[in-house]
Amino acid sequence: MSEELLRIDDLHVSFSTRRGLVEAVRGVTLTVEAGEMLGLVGESGSGKSVTGFATTRLLDSAGRVTGGKILFRGQDITKLRGDDLRQLQGAAMSMIFQNPRAALNPIRAIGLQIADAILTHKRISKDAARAEALELLRAVQIRDPEKRMNAYPHELSGGMCQRVMIAIAISCNPALLIADEPTTGLDVTTQKVVMDLLADIAAARGMATILITHDLGLAARYCRRIAVMEQGRIVEEASPKTLFSTPQHAYTRRLVAASPTATSRIEDLVTAEERERHAAVISKPRQQLAHGTPPLLEVRKLAKRFDQGSAAVADFSMTIAGGESVGLVGESGSGKSTTSRMICRLIDPSEGDIVFDGQSIGHVAARDFHRSRFRKDIQIVFQDPNESLNPRFTAFDCIAHPLMRLDDMRAGSELRQRVEECAERVGLPLDLLPRFPHQLSGGQKARVGIARAIACRPRLLVLDEPTAALDVSVQAVVLQLLDRLRRENDIALLFVSHDLNVVRMLCDRTIVLRNGGIVEQGESRALFDNPKTDYTRKLVEAIPHIETGPALAAAL
Amino acid sequence: MLSFILRRVVSTLPVMAIVALFVFSLLYIAPGDPAVVIAGDQASPEDVERIRQSLGLDRPFLIQFGSWVWRILHGDLGTSIFTNLPVSTMIGQRLGPTLSLMMVTLLLTIVVAVPLGVVAAWKAGSFIDRAIMAFAVFGFSLPVFVVGYVLAYVFALELEWLPVQGYTPLTEGFWPWLQNLILPAVALGCVYIALVARITRATMLEVLQQDYIRTARAKGLGQGGILFIHALKNAAVPIVTVIGIGIALLIGGAVVTESVFAIPGLGRLTIDAILRRDYPVIQGIVLLFSFVYVLVNLMIDVTYTIVDPRIRY
Repeated sequence: MSEELLRIDDLHVSFSTRRGLVEAVRGVTLTVEAGEMLGLVGESGSGKSVTGFATTRLLDSAGRVTGGKILFRGQDITKLRGDDLRQLQGAAMSMIFQNPRAALNPIRAIGLQIADAILTHKRISKDAARAEALELLRAVQIRDPEKRMNAYPHELSGGMCQRVMIAIAISCNPALLIADEPTTGLDVTTQKVVMDLLADIAAARGMATILITHDLGLAARYCRRIAVMEQGRIVEEASPKTLFSTPQHAYTRRLVAASPTATSRIEDLVTAEERERHAAVISKPRQQLAHGTPPLLEVRKLAKRFDQGSAAVADFSMTIAGGESVGLVGESGSGKSTTSRMICRLIDPSEGDIVFDGQSIGHVAARDFHRSRFRKDIQIVFQDPNESLNPRFTAFDCIAHPLMRLDDMRAGSELRQRVEECAERVGLPLDLLPRFPHQLSGGQKARVGIARAIACRPRLLVLDEPTAALDVSVQAVVLQLLDRLRRENDIALLFVSHDLNVVRMLCDRTIVLRNGGIVEQGESRALFDNPKTDYTRKLVEAIPHIETGPALAAAL
Repeated sequence: MLSFILRRVVSTLPVMAIVALFVFSLLYIAPGDPAVVIAGDQASPEDVERIRQSLGLDRPFLIQFGSWVWRILHGDLGTSIFTNLPVSTMIGQRLGPTLSLMMVTLLLTIVVAVPLGVVAAWKAGSFIDRAIMAFAVFGFSLPVFVVGYVLAYVFALELEWLPVQGYTPLTEGFWPWLQNLILPAVALGCVYIALVARITRATMLEVLQQDYIRTARAKGLGQGGILFIHALKNAAVPIVTVIGIGIALLIGGAVVTESVFAIPGLGRLTIDAILRRDYPVIQGIVLLFSFVYVLVNLMIDVTYTIVDPRIRY
């Protein structure tokens, strides 16, 4: 047993909101030893980030520690003020955040931002601080560090911004680093590079790290101890192996089950009783198409060039049959969103053609496509349910709008019936229909987005990272819903995602994109089990895996 | 940067042309015949006709406009109908007081309003914040002339700290110059200070919510560093915009303020010219103010690119 660095003792944190005091953390107790990496895992709202902010004393003004102690090197830091506090922040303990680009000052050169941190804690000249900042950029493996010193955050990629954040965080050699969802929103390959870098730096400098994440697989890969949080409490703490093989708490079991693995099937993502509810649909075999049936969608040599630079997408061809699901995977910048938007006819292709149901639709201008009779046949579900719903539209309006526009329905009992039918199909309780988006949870918003997309009974549904912003347990439910819709209604799915585990489960075929071109395609399981190209192999290897043994199956 | 400024200057040319056309058309849009007005009550129809011809008012509109623009491009703003002095000379005599008043007001506003807004945002919800915002509402609500007379009564007549009215040119010393400008500047700046303080507070509140402010706190930066290095500069674009728009407010307010404090500036000249229907003078002044405003907008655009590296034209 090595030295104890941090001890959180029965911590309570409350936020004063309009609806009164809300307790976000309700009695968290945990310890971190020097040099150790501890995983703090939980879904949104579990209080894991709040615990982190309370520890680094960065709670916003509405939040207050209402009970318990945080002992850092034996000293209670919950009452520190003024200079004592500033000597702690950034020097003895530091923090990196989710969404690194937003965490950096957009109008200050990154070299200066690193130097700021150094100059706050060390009495050295500006030139010396600058030299140290340059060294740090080298330490976090940024290419061309001299040039990057004067770069602004918008000129860097998300992964690079996170490296800069790491450089700032380690600038004064802290004893404890709290990483709050450091790689959420980054590509799988970038995620691996950044996490490896963070782990190496922590090991080399003997820095203890708390990794706060919603991704059990990620925590399992990098931490030797994982604490699981639910509703402001730690419900279980164990080594990854124990956690996955013999989860004790019901919540942990649900979380482990909902985390997609290399071998899991859609059916595996929920508990047994939920599975039985839709047993009839799940057991329905996928429709076998007669040979020679023309495809529902055929894309021929599609290309897109934006104003400047090279092609975002080039020479892209594919087909989708009715009721088939095809995955489109690749890193950010690979052109997968551009491709999906061209197929949805939201943007115009520069070259090539799109044939839907035997009719060419590639040459109808995107701005006129809303008048095409195929508009209702091709619908899209957008990535972020928070951003893609009109905040002034109720859930009912959201779902009713396309029906009125595209199905010529008028307000009345018939429309109400159709909307309620859609809501029921996506499992959205009817009493939520009069609510506005901000009154709905993330999962509920995702359902509104899907209900809106299926309202006009489309034949092709394009899904642009529909679960990226969702918790794993919500993701599990949404994936099941999509799979069910496909089986029940023979809706073809084009599933755009960077999450290969999800694509493997949901899609019959997968297309791997890189720099706007197809690298590899084929039957999903075969493609992931035996990738033919290095690029696909790199993508597959970057996924944090959870090894589940037979013990887990028994526990469920 | 230079080519950007050049392009912006070129793009203001159409704006100036439209302004010029509008200013010139004033003569035709406004009620009353200038020739009749200038000739006076006792003039015979022949006198009016003679005046009309000597001013070229009988020629076709486009030819008049063309020759007017041509003369302006050569720096000739015409001759006052009333005083027979060149318009440029008349404006030149009155420019000093008005510019002084505007500059002092602008400076006072920035020095007072921006810190007030920053403090209000930093202490949002506190007593200080409420006091500052109450002052802002007060500043908005009071007309310039009310503030002006109250200030003159208290500080000039009762306390006798400052002169009641008048103007002393800068050439006669800095303090005499400033002494005469303090009260008018405070009166004129009230609305302006309230406006800028409110915008500063609102923008700062938004910026202080941003993730990078949390990062700055995580680094252990002090309150001053966070507020001024990281927050204020990020809040600068809307603040600069409002300060710029406010210059239009100042131009209007200067007319009233100069009347209250008897400052012989462009505001007084404008009123006199309007009352006398001295069209060349009115045209010259409106043209000058438009030009100043276009110039201010150019300066705002340049400031944007200096403040925010993401803005490129």
